Amino acid sequence: MHSKIRDAEIRALIRADDPWEPVGPTPMPTLMDLRNWDLRLLSTYEPFYAPFCDLCCLCTYGKCDLTEDRKGACGIDMASQQARWILICCLMGTAAHGAHGRHMIDYLIEKYGEDFPINLGTQVNVEAPIIRTVLGVKVETLRDLRTAIEYVEREFIHLVSATHTGQEGNYLDFESKAFHAGMLDHVALEAADIAQIAGFGYPTSVADTPLVDLGWGIMDSTKPTIVVVGHNAVTANAIIDYLREHDLYGKVEVGGICCTSHDVTRYASGAKVIGPLSQQRFFLKTGLADVVVTDEQCVLLDIPQMAKETGAAMIACSDKISYGLENASERPADEIVREVLEEQKQFLILDPQKAAEVVVRAALELAPKRSAQKQLLTEAEAAALAAKCRGTCELCNRTCNSLLPVAAAVHQAGQGNFTKLGEVFRRCHGCGRCEQECINQIPILRLMQAAAARDTFKMRSGRGPIHDVEIRKVGSPIVLGTIPGVVLFAGCSNFPQDIDDVAWLAEELARRKYIVNLSGCAAMAAAMKKDDEGRTIYEKYIPEFDAGCIVNVGSCVANCHVVGAAIKIANIFATLPNRANYELISDYILNRVGACGVVWGPYSQKALCIGTGAVRWGIPIVLGPHGSKYRRLYMSKKEMGDWTVMDGRTKQLVDTGEPTPEHMMVVTESKERALVTIIKQCFRRNDTPPGRAIKLNSYISAYKQVMGTLPDDLQNFVRTDKDIPIVYKREVVAYLKEVGWQPKPVLSLPTIIGTYETKVPIEATIK
Amino acid sequence: MASETMVMPYYKVNVLTGSKAAKVIDVPADGVAIINKAKNPLYVFGEEVIATPVGDRLLIDFALEIAKSRDIAICATAHVKKKMLELGVKPDSVYDIIEIVHFLKMKEWSGVRGKGFHDLVLFTGVRCDLAERGLATLKHFAPHLKTFAICRRSHPNADFAVPVLVKVDKWREYLEDMIRTLGATKPA
Amino acid sequence: MYAVDVGPQYEGERIRKTEFQVEFGGPEVSHKGELVTVKGHDEVEHDKITVTGPDIKDFAEGVSSALFIKVEVAGEVLEKDLEAVLERRIHQYINYIEGVFHMAQRYDIWIRIHKNAFKKGLNSFEQVGRILIDLFTAELPVIEKMSIEFVTDPAKVQELLAEAMKVYKERDDKLKGLKDEDVDEFYACVLCQSFAPTHVCVVTPERISLCGAINWFDGRAAVKVDPEGAQFAVPKGNLIDPENISYDTINQVVTERSLGETTHVSLHSALTNPHTSCGCFEAIVFYIPEVDGFGVVSRDFVGVTVTGEPFSTLAGHASGGKQNEGYVGIGVQYLKSPKFLIGDGGYNRVAWMPTSLKESAAENIPQELMDKIATEKDVSNVDELTEFMQKAGRL
Repeated sequence: MHSKIRDAEIRALIRADDPWEPVGPTPMPTLMDLRNWDLRLLSTYEPFYAPFCDLCCLCTYGKCDLTEDRKGACGIDMASQQARWILICCLMGTAAHGAHGRHMIDYLIEKYGEDFPINLGTQVNVEAPIIRTVLGVKVETLRDLRTAIEYVEREFIHLVSATHTGQEGNYLDFESKAFHAGMLDHVALEAADIAQIAGFGYPTSVADTPLVDLGWGIMDSTKPTIVVVGHNAVTANAIIDYLREHDLYGKVEVGGICCTSHDVTRYASGAKVIGPLSQQRFFLKTGLADVVVTDEQCVLLDIPQMAKETGAAMIACSDKISYGLENASERPADEIVREVLEEQKQFLILDPQKAAEVVVRAALELAPKRSAQKQLLTEAEAAALAAKCRGTCELCNRTCNSLLPVAAAVHQAGQGNFTKLGEVFRRCHGCGRCEQECINQIPILRLMQAAAARDTFKMRSGRGPIHDVEIRKVGSPIVLGTIPGVVLFAGCSNFPQDIDDVAWLAEELARRKYIVNLSGCAAMAAAMKKDDEGRTIYEKYIPEFDAGCIVNVGSCVANCHVVGAAIKIANIFATLPNRANYELISDYILNRVGACGVVWGPYSQKALCIGTGAVRWGIPIVLGPHGSKYRRLYMSKKEMGDWTVMDGRTKQLVDTGEPTPEHMMVVTESKERALVTIIKQCFRRNDTPPGRAIKLNSYISAYKQVMGTLPDDLQNFVRTDKDIPIVYKREVVAYLKEVGWQPKPVLSLPTIIGTYETKVPIEATIK
Repeated sequence: MASETMVMPYYKVNVLTGSKAAKVIDVPADGVAIINKAKNPLYVFGEEVIATPVGDRLLIDFALEIAKSRDIAICATAHVKKKMLELGVKPDSVYDIIEIVHFLKMKEWSGVRGKGFHDLVLFTGVRCDLAERGLATLKHFAPHLKTFAICRRSHPNADFAVPVLVKVDKWREYLEDMIRTLGATKPA
Repeated sequence: MYAVDVGPQYEGERIRKTEFQVEFGGPEVSHKGELVTVKGHDEVEHDKITVTGPDIKDFAEGVSSALFIKVEVAGEVLEKDLEAVLERRIHQYINYIEGVFHMAQRYDIWIRIHKNAFKKGLNSFEQVGRILIDLFTAELPVIEKMSIEFVTDPAKVQELLAEAMKVYKERDDKLKGLKDEDVDEFYACVLCQSFAPTHVCVVTPERISLCGAINWFDGRAAVKVDPEGAQFAVPKGNLIDPENISYDTINQVVTERSLGETTHVSLHSALTNPHTSCGCFEAIVFYIPEVDGFGVVSRDFVGVTVTGEPFSTLAGHASGGKQNEGYVGIGVQYLKSPKFLIGDGGYNRVAWMPTSLKESAAENIPQELMDKIATEKDVSNVDELTEFMQKAGRL
């Protein structure tokens, strides 16, 4: 709710009198401020639910069976229960990023003071496009970032409240709230990444960041070896500082798993990326690490046990994951090190500098004593361990959520053939459930040590924000459609098939001149494929935000920079005011910026939340098959839907008859289908005929490649004969004639502002 | 005989948390009877039909025979279309799995041949976890149709499902029996 | 359809020395060229593709050969002036071919064919010719007939090149002399209205579009081949402001197309009713009040300009389709126009340019001003610039 007092408070927080831009209609929006926008989006892109569970087990009225049209004791129906669950999951994601940001910002304020300036270098003027658009504040200091996080926290309590039994009861309102959570998540992402760029001096205003080593085989375990796991690199960076201060940098091996590895290599390019989340358990079971350090998010919960089994030391560094360990933050380092070494004790240490000292000293002491435990299983040893498997009970297969043929692979390994197990390794996300089920207690993940190729790769380290000058260069071709799209591969490594499918998709798009961005575990997986000359896509493609280039923005929190780039296209390039102007900017992106997010290996609530947030900005999301287990998508009725929009030029409603973007969140079954879907999701109503022709050229060429024919829905996307790509002109013309195609209007100022109740005047779209 | 409720599908990820499970069609002839009753059936082919051998043939060969026997409209999902064309069959429609499920939810949809909604939808070869999610959608939100998962891993969220058939030989026998019975009977 | 894939996605492909099967033209070859000629309807045999001399498959791997591409076209509305525009399409369309790259133009062409493309079956100019004719006639229905000859016989190439050189020279002479006053029609472009809704770009013989992509001849050709496209002809009407150069009909059309936002536009002034800018400009002219002069900066200049603002900030002031006195976006070629900001005093008013831009405009900067325009090497802020200008006797 707004009140005069709150409005005055907001004006003070965002320094409303700063003249950089007039304050738009929605500074620091509340749950209700963008509800009409949400409902408008949801009227075209209806929620699609695939219940994962038919019951509601949340309160003690239940369990309640919600099958078909049944209602729960509280009156909730199946659709609303799914939507509530989605909101809860999105809140988990927002909380993870928000708390991460809060920790990072508090830590840096403690270190440098709240007036510490945010400077992202000479190439970045619009420093925080998301925060500017959502809150209306121009970020100048760490204090402003804290303001952003405090706004997230304030909204958060209302959203969580809505999930209680007897609160929100309509699925569309739950979805609107999930959008709100998604938007808050993006604010948190941006605050967190900007804070760490400024506070730790990560690359910014540089495109050509260093190539770093990647792959589990890259770790030189003859050195003392430290492995950092998680997403919050505060302690990992302190370890690097400690090594540098003690002349040990390069003499001690530091490798990371998951996003901490992105961020530690942004801090020190000599650190290494072991791999994505999916290889966490596999690697930790190899015993190659002398010390395992956990921070937060996507960290396996049995790490203390795995560390014990391999004789490695283990230090937890986050209050979010304390593992029941003693909090030794206040104890002297000497004492802790002694107990680690002599008693094999594991500790929680929340002081990054102290943790760093303990970790390095323990690694130096332990390494010489652990050489026997750092030996990988040989093929003969693995075959012996697998010998008992007859490959027939298939209990391992049945429990495998990646649907992998584990039984056959283990059986073959027992006979000394590791080919199939090698293939399983590349598809495995390392849950270890197969081992639990095995009646012969075969350590299947350890067997993979003998099967997994020890290839090493190069990945470009994360570069942070897209530069304003890059935006200026590509703004026009993106909006005209002549750069066919901006694609972000984000998220986790719960891939449906081979881990290198992300590289395949990225390259198929880059060679068709899309601007390809990657982040998080997807960015790592994309490094795990080499061409005939042994180059990964990061070595092969230019790291700029430009057509046919491939950019690694960084860790999960760096996802904000690609959304930020879409906002900057509207703001810098088209000079649309973004200050507290959420709807205007999102409308611009939805109608004019051909951007698409892809989460090919979705698993986490964070990825769901990021994706949901992207949809509210008008950016469609394509998910891999596991995304169906998120249980909610946003899909249009395609050609059956109502595609009427406003022509900003004439202020008349026009039925465009073209379903673009076609869906806002959709799952695809195979990588081939994903390719053509991603290409299609980059179509925008605003595409000029030459731009649409280029986009259709990509669509047709990819469709022919994977389906063998012209696209079956081509008639939906050809508006006039000028949209027809010349290469395929003759066959397209013949096809259109056959299906009775009729021309559709081409608008130069399409907008959905004016098609629903909003404070934004239609004139605002004409800037 | 059809079992009243399903006990456990092949994949644990597909274990039902709910009260309404598929009828397991133990006897292929019972499955044929279901198909025979349908007025406007649709057959959805998932990506595994072109990649999964059943003995010395591909799964798609069997699925095509079932479809042809009753002239059932085919929807090719994923990238199945390419292989189908190579086999000389043009699918009636091409959608990805989630899209076709989305359309099937709408009773007012004209169907792939413009004859109105489909009253029975058969599924074969869709990735098991994804198929189960789509079947859940249809179970709750498409009361106007029945689903039959012709998949040896079995699907609790379908209306009708094949039992878990671990051995490929049994699966082949099931399919062949079904095709034979289709040949020997007539639609209602 | 073809032995290799074809499409705009292959533009910009680079083929390295070790990768090509055979190359045509380029630095190793002295004679090479391409020419499009508009002919009478009966003089062109449609779809005729001829290879004179050895074909792609006849060369040993790694060889560099002479090549002349001779294209003849006919069509009712085609005229001589369109030849140069059509000729550029050879470059564009050859680059559409997977595994083939084409660089430069006229007597300077360089084509490489990748080994992989050759292996896939692209082993004859017959195929390249087929693709070219298909693309030309699909995109430009005004071409009713087209034939193409690929000549690799060195003696014949030399002969054809000598003839072509005369044609290139004729074209240049014609363009060089052309002034705004010599024509009755200018061209306008509203392509960028999809992101700058009130911007209208006016292209004259002496003012290239600010994106640098469309000169007056291109505008003319575009209107001919695509009468309903984003470019259209505007009769210039009467010169109503000879100082800043403003025409009444141009003003009328701009008023209409900018939804009333801009009513008066001076074609060659940054200070009085300047031309609007969409956002695609290659360079920006910005007024520096302290020295009563202009700075000019191009997109590729990294760092801050003499006023302390980088290109990106200045671009923010200039763009958006609104008139902003003191700022105007330009195409780099405009620096070579005799009418370059003539309303404001032209180069006499320019105080600062980055070195690279100054070098490229050197020919057009009056000799006496060469050392009196500061660069980033001379000065780094406005105070230093003021001093520089005083020393140069310009203040």
